[in-house]
Amino acid sequence: MAKRIAIVEDEAAIRENYAAAFSREGYVVDGYDARQPALDAFESRLPDLVVIDVNLKDDVEGGFELCRVLRARAADLPIIFLTARDSEFDAVSGLRLGADDYLTKDISLPHLMARVAALFRRLDAMQKPHGAESRITRGDLSIDTERMTVHWQDRPVGLTLTEFWLVHALARYPGHVKNRQQLMDAAQAVLDDNTITSHVKRIRRKFHAIDERFDSIETVYGMGYRWISG
Amino acid sequence: MNLRRQLLLVSLLTLMLPWAGCEFIRETEIALRAGQEQMLAGTAKAIAGSMVQYRDKFPVRDSSYGVGDQLYIHQLDSQPEIDGYFDDWTLPTASLRSLRGSDGLIRFAVASYAQATYLYVEVIDRDVIYATPQSLLVDGASRYADRVTLVSNSPSKFSEAFTFAAEAPGRIICYRQSPFGFEAQATITAFWQDIPRGYRVEARIPSGQLGPRLGLIVQNTADPLQTGTRSSSFSGRVPGSAMSEIAELEQVAGELVGPDMRLILTDADGWRVAAAGELGSGGRDPSGTGFARRIYDLLVERGKEAAFAEPDPLGREQQPYVSAALEGRERGTWFRSVDTGTAIVAVAAPIVEGVEVIGAVVLQRGTDAILSQRNEGLSRLINVTLVTTLVVAGALLGYATWLSRRIRALSIAAEDALETEDLRSALPSALAEDEIGDLSRSFSWVLQQLGEYNEYLRSLASKLSHELRTPLAIVTSSLENLEHEELNEASLGYTARAREGADRLRRILSAMSEASRVEELMKHAEPEQFDLQAVLDSTTKAYRDVYKDRTFAFTSSVASAQASGSPELLIQMLDKLVDNAVDFSEDGDTITLALQEEDNALLIAVTNPGPELPERMRSQLFDSMVSMRSGNDSRHLGLGLYVARLIAEGHGGHISADNVDGGVCFTVAIPRMPH
Repeated sequence: MAKRIAIVEDEAAIRENYAAAFSREGYVVDGYDARQPALDAFESRLPDLVVIDVNLKDDVEGGFELCRVLRARAADLPIIFLTARDSEFDAVSGLRLGADDYLTKDISLPHLMARVAALFRRLDAMQKPHGAESRITRGDLSIDTERMTVHWQDRPVGLTLTEFWLVHALARYPGHVKNRQQLMDAAQAVLDDNTITSHVKRIRRKFHAIDERFDSIETVYGMGYRWISG
Repeated sequence: MNLRRQLLLVSLLTLMLPWAGCEFIRETEIALRAGQEQMLAGTAKAIAGSMVQYRDKFPVRDSSYGVGDQLYIHQLDSQPEIDGYFDDWTLPTASLRSLRGSDGLIRFAVASYAQATYLYVEVIDRDVIYATPQSLLVDGASRYADRVTLVSNSPSKFSEAFTFAAEAPGRIICYRQSPFGFEAQATITAFWQDIPRGYRVEARIPSGQLGPRLGLIVQNTADPLQTGTRSSSFSGRVPGSAMSEIAELEQVAGELVGPDMRLILTDADGWRVAAAGELGSGGRDPSGTGFARRIYDLLVERGKEAAFAEPDPLGREQQPYVSAALEGRERGTWFRSVDTGTAIVAVAAPIVEGVEVIGAVVLQRGTDAILSQRNEGLSRLINVTLVTTLVVAGALLGYATWLSRRIRALSIAAEDALETEDLRSALPSALAEDEIGDLSRSFSWVLQQLGEYNEYLRSLASKLSHELRTPLAIVTSSLENLEHEELNEASLGYTARAREGADRLRRILSAMSEASRVEELMKHAEPEQFDLQAVLDSTTKAYRDVYKDRTFAFTSSVASAQASGSPELLIQMLDKLVDNAVDFSEDGDTITLALQEEDNALLIAVTNPGPELPERMRSQLFDSMVSMRSGNDSRHLGLGLYVARLIAEGHGGHISADNVDGGVCFTVAIPRMPH
């Protein structure tokens, strides 16, 4: 059965374009131009994935509000923010509200499709038992590439999709320096220097929350980052 | 010219005050003088009228001789010694009349004292020829010797000549020549004295021996065998009358004259026949008045020199006002003494009998009273106005100093505000109610506007990029969808180009919002401690990989380079600087990164060879949207160096750019970590 994707976006042209792209990939797409119609529709039936714009016409933070309501109703529902607001502060706010990813509108459609597909794949993988072949272990780190989850010292690290791909790219070949371009490709996103820096910072912080002595991601100044197996 | 000098110049206008005062005083003086002149004229006319009754006392010239043929007999106050010296004559040397001689001037005077007539002659003679005893015996008057002759027609109307010649200097004998022969005159005392280049003769002749007409002849002989050259005091055949003051008229004049007044009577030719009265000395010490006097001399009308008011030493009054009177016109004038400043008002009136002018009355009066009044007023005026001027100038100077200090403070504060970009700080004089206060407020307003404008410029890039992002997303997503449609060859080319354009647009937008993201990152970044030297070392290696056609050098003169902040951001800043350095240098050039320390700061210097920075750009180089690149290189919006500056300042440091020998050096100073 085809997955249903809801797009909440006030800009009709973008909404239509995204809808067309998703339809081409075989998804069923519902488009909404404001928070209330979307909520009304979700009342009767929740979609399988929601793409939300933060800024909904006059409802400046309507997207955040919608995310909060949805997350309260369905803990596992994948939610992606797709917005023109590129500030760090907005990104952090969005992710705190439980969004699975925070993307700016710079992202290309193929990248967006890849992410959506990845999110669905992870959702599917969660239902299946663990497969040993999909597991990478580097010291205290273990990565489940099927489920796209990361554990440190056997405790789960809650990473977004972008963060997961970054960690995966680094940890796959420990000791190798990954430059920005490589990381960008791995994360299926167009990210500038500052965004990568912020992502790495956020990843480190998440690991630090579990283990204060975490220092496996090393900055190679001017070049990039590398994973050091403890 | 600064404000102070300008106001000082303006203060010079107060010098108008003394000038106006002087002008007033001068006018007063002129009015007073005119009044006095009028009064004197009245008196002079009255005297002239009364003089007609003494008509017979005035000498009358007959037509047998001219005006200049007369001799004037001065009055002496004491008896002179007959010794060839003029200094015991109580006359000024100006009383000596001149004749032209063959070897030089001949000067002589005739005077009377107590029934005797005195003669003094001074002759310039290149070589003096003395008489021989023989020649004296032959004609007494020694035809072939240098000699002086006094010609007179005796009371008995015969023409007589008294000849003075010398055998040797010293006492000489005078010979009288008359139609009855010649004889030595024992009653006449004479003295001959030789002087360098000439001789002097002084003689005393009892008055009874001389007639009413008198003339002087000087004979200069160059050769004992020649008669020599004759100089005489009269031009005609016979001498003119001897003129002198007339006792009766003197007496009348003495009765008429008042105090501080002088009365002179002349005959029709201007010969003085009577003089009476003295002018006051002025009562002023010419040296004692000093400064005020000097200023006063500069200010008052000069007038004719007072010496010309004195009775003429030669006996004939020839001042224009007297001449005018002798022609029948009453005339007034005034004189001023250079020494004392005393002014003398003088009036000459003709004495007319019928239609004939028989003489003139000259009346003179000193103006001491006016003068002293004026003088006192003048020095007071000068003092007061001088003090006023000084006070005004001082006050204006102080005022100007205060004013210019306020303006300067304002201008310095405004410049500082511009320099430090602290555009909201209060400027001096902001509360003042005068124009400088207005200026200060306008300045503040302008600075504030500038600040807001700068703020606007700063946020413009990120706002713009934010606003443009949605339409760009429409374009890109549409294009990406389009690529899934059936497209022919041409359409594919167009979409590819459109994609490229959109991609470029996206990169530009991302550069535009970079500054605001950096600012945000800096706000939230937790500073970490790191070794700046290691960071630079590692980064330099990375640059070598990225820019293969440039050489990179890294030098460090710092032992420990612990810094606090965000190494990522600092690298981002370095990226901008190196990117800049690469753009402005050429293939094969060496770009140098250097780490130094100065006081408590670490200096990171990025130097590249290349064109120098234009001076006018230096101050705004690090501002938002300012690019020194020419052309339209779309990658650069003038934000790179602005981002570099944001990062440097975010680390508590600052960035600067300098031209170095053949290149440009950007220096970032960040505070060193305390150990």
